[in-house]
Amino acid sequence: MTQKLGQEQVEEKETQYEYTPQGPGLDTRQHMTTSYGHKPLIDQVTNGWRGDVKIPEDSGDYEPGFCDIEDEGSCPNVSRDIVRSRRFRRMLALVVVAAILAYYAWQAYLRPRLLEDWEFKEGFMSGRGNGTYGMARSGDFDGTAIKDIDAALVPGGKADHDGKRRLVFIGDIHGCKKELLHLLDKIDFDSAKDHLIATGDVVSKGPDSAGVLDELIRIGAESVRGNHEDRLVEAAKTMLDDDVDVPSAAITSKGSSKDAALLKHMKPRHLRFLHDMPLMLRIPALPLAKHPGKHHIAEEITVIHAGLVPHVPLEKQDPYFVMNMRSIDHKTHVPSALHETKKGNSKPWFNIWNWYQDRIDRGRSVDGFHVYSYAEWLGKQASHGWFEKVRHVLPSKHNDKVTPQVAVYGHDSKMGLQLHRWSKGLDSACVSGGHLTAMVLDAKGKTEITSVKCKNYK
Amino acid sequence: MYLAFSSLVLLVLFVCGELALSAALPAVAAAPELVRGRDADFDSVRTRLFDDHSGRKGDPRDKYFHESIFHPHYDGRFADKPLPSDERRTYLVALIHTYLSTMNDIGAETWIVHGTLLGWWWNRKIMPWDSDVDVQMSEKSMHHLADFYNMTIHHYKLPGASKGRDYMLEVNPHYTNASTEDSLNVIDARWVDTESGLFIDITTLRRNETAEAEGKKGAMMCKDAHHYMFDDIFPLRESVFENTAVKIPYAYSELLVEEYGPASLVSTDFENHRFDQEKMEWVPLRFA
Repeated sequence: MTQKLGQEQVEEKETQYEYTPQGPGLDTRQHMTTSYGHKPLIDQVTNGWRGDVKIPEDSGDYEPGFCDIEDEGSCPNVSRDIVRSRRFRRMLALVVVAAILAYYAWQAYLRPRLLEDWEFKEGFMSGRGNGTYGMARSGDFDGTAIKDIDAALVPGGKADHDGKRRLVFIGDIHGCKKELLHLLDKIDFDSAKDHLIATGDVVSKGPDSAGVLDELIRIGAESVRGNHEDRLVEAAKTMLDDDVDVPSAAITSKGSSKDAALLKHMKPRHLRFLHDMPLMLRIPALPLAKHPGKHHIAEEITVIHAGLVPHVPLEKQDPYFVMNMRSIDHKTHVPSALHETKKGNSKPWFNIWNWYQDRIDRGRSVDGFHVYSYAEWLGKQASHGWFEKVRHVLPSKHNDKVTPQVAVYGHDSKMGLQLHRWSKGLDSACVSGGHLTAMVLDAKGKTEITSVKCKNYK
Repeated sequence: MYLAFSSLVLLVLFVCGELALSAALPAVAAAPELVRGRDADFDSVRTRLFDDHSGRKGDPRDKYFHESIFHPHYDGRFADKPLPSDERRTYLVALIHTYLSTMNDIGAETWIVHGTLLGWWWNRKIMPWDSDVDVQMSEKSMHHLADFYNMTIHHYKLPGASKGRDYMLEVNPHYTNASTEDSLNVIDARWVDTESGLFIDITTLRRNETAEAEGKKGAMMCKDAHHYMFDDIFPLRESVFENTAVKIPYAYSELLVEEYGPASLVSTDFENHRFDQEKMEWVPLRFA
C-alpha cells in the first residue's frame, strides 16, 4: 500500500508503509526510512483512538526541542543535505558542463570572430585622436585620375538597348602579344560590340610590348595605368632625347635600363596611349543587370591597377599606392606594395575591401567611421536625432549615400586570380608562365572567366 | 734734411720688410697645411658680423662644416642668434625657393627627402615646426657643383628683402670620400643663407658598392647612413612644393612609411599641431 506523505513526497520510491495493528503494549511497525535518513512524520501517528496504546517512551533519536549545535548529528543540516542529494548533484554537473562548453565556444568561435571583426573595423574608426589614411594631400597624378567610361560602351546602356554589348577585363598582359590574341580569339572578341579594358601593366617584362600596344590601339581598347606604365611615362620625360644613350644597368638599375631600351622602341602613338591611361576607370551599374551575387555584378565597378583603400573617396587615394599596393595595415589603413610589412599589421587589401562593401551592402551603419569632407560630416550630424538613431540600428536596404562598388584590378601575380563578391583580381602571372585571364561581363551582369596558358618569358 | 731722407729710407725699408715678412709668413704658416684643403673661415666669408659664432674651435680637426655654437641648424659665420620663430618660416621658404631655382638653372639633379618630403605629402609645404630642409643630389650633379660652383654667391631679389639676399653654395671637399666611416663629414654640401645663417644640407646619393658586391643590385646609400634602392628614387617625379617646381623620389609614399612608419602618413596630431582637413594646414594647438 502506498501512501503520499503530503509535502514530504519521496522521489524514486514511495515508502511502502504497512500498518499492522498490534495489541496493547507493543507497537511494531515497519518503517522505511526516507532518503533523508529521518523517520517520516507519519510514524509518530499513534492512532491512540483505537485503543489504549501507549506512546513509546524511548523515542530513539528523535528529540523534541532545539538541536545541540555541538553535536553534529543532532541538527538537521539542510544545505549539506541538499548538496548530498542526487538531484542537486545532477543539476550541478549539468551547469558545470554547460559552463565548460560555453567557455570553449567563446574561445574557439565567438572571441576570434569578434576580434577579427574588430581588426577589420578599427582602421575605419575615428575619434581615437588620430586621423586616418586619406586625410593628407598625398601624391600627384600626371594625367586623368578618374575617368568615367564612355556611355556608348556600357552594355545595356543608352547605345545598347538590346543588351548585346560586352565588357572584357584582362589582367596584366606584360607584352605577351601571342597570348593576348589567343585569348581574344577564345572569347570571340568582336570589336564592334565588345570593349576591352586592361587592368594595367600591358607592357614591360614580356616579348612584345609595342605589339600589344598596337593591338590595343587597333581594337579601340583602353587600360588603367599600372606601375610599369607609370615608370615609362616618367622616364620618357628625360630619356627620349636622341642623343641620350641608354644608360647601362651598372650606373642605373636593371629595371631602369630595360625601361630605357623599351622607350627607344616606342613611337609617339604608343607614348600617347600610355599617357592617356587614367589612374582609375569608373563603370556605372549596368541598367539591365539583375541578381547581384558572386557571379553577377549589378553595382558600380572601379577598375584600378593594384588596389584601393576602402571608405576613402576616390579623389583622396594616393596614386602611387593605387598602382602598387598589395596589402593594407589594418590599424591605419596605410597601404604597402609588400604583402607583409615589417610592422606586421598587414592584411590583403581586398579582404578589408570586401568586408567593408559587404557591410555597406547589408545596410549596416558606418557610424563612427572617418569622414572625409565637411559636407559628409554635416550629413552625419543631421542623422543624429533619436528616430534616426533607431532607424540606423535596424538593417535597411539603403544606406543613404554610400553604395557598394566592385573593384577590378591586377598587379598581384603572387596571389593570382582572386575572385570575390566585391573584388576581382585578374593577374594570373601570364608573363612568368601562368595564365592570361579575361573576365567577360555581359549586359545582364553575368561574369564569365576565361584563361589561356602562357609561355614563361622570365 | 739728411734726417728726413734717412727716415724716409728707413720707412721704405721698413715697409718692404713688412711686405716681405707678410709674404713669407703665410708660406711659413701654411707649410704643414699645404696638403689640406682650405676651408672657408670666418674672415674669408664674413658679411655683417664681427665675431665668429661657428663651432670651429671646438670641432674635430677633420670636420669641415661647423655648425654655430648657439643652434645646430645655423651657420655661425653669418648669424649670432637664431631667428624669431615667426620669421623663421619665411626665411626657410626663401631658402628652398632659391636653392631649387639655382639648381634648376645649373641643371643639377636634386630632390627633397625626409622631413621635407613628409611636409610635401601632407600639404606641399614645410611643416611649421621644421627648422631645416633636407635634399639629396645625384653623384654626377655633385661633381659638377664641386668643379664649377663651389663657394659661389647667388644674389636673389626677394619680397621682404629690399636689398636682396645672398646665398652661398659650399661644397665639402670630403664629398669625394664615399665611406660612411667618415662620420664627421656626412653632409656633402650646403646652401647657406648669408643673412640669417640658415642652411640646407645636401647629401649625395651614391651607389652602395658593398651591397652590390653582395648581389643586391641597384642598392644606393648616403653618407648619413640612409639606404635606398635605385628604383625607389628614379625616375624622379615632378611636383610642386611651396609653390615651386620640385622633384620627388619615385616611390615617395613607400619611402616615407619605411622611414617614419605608417602613423606619419595618417596621424593628424603631431608636435603640438593638428592637421585641419578643410584648410589643409597644420594648425598649432593653443593650449597644448
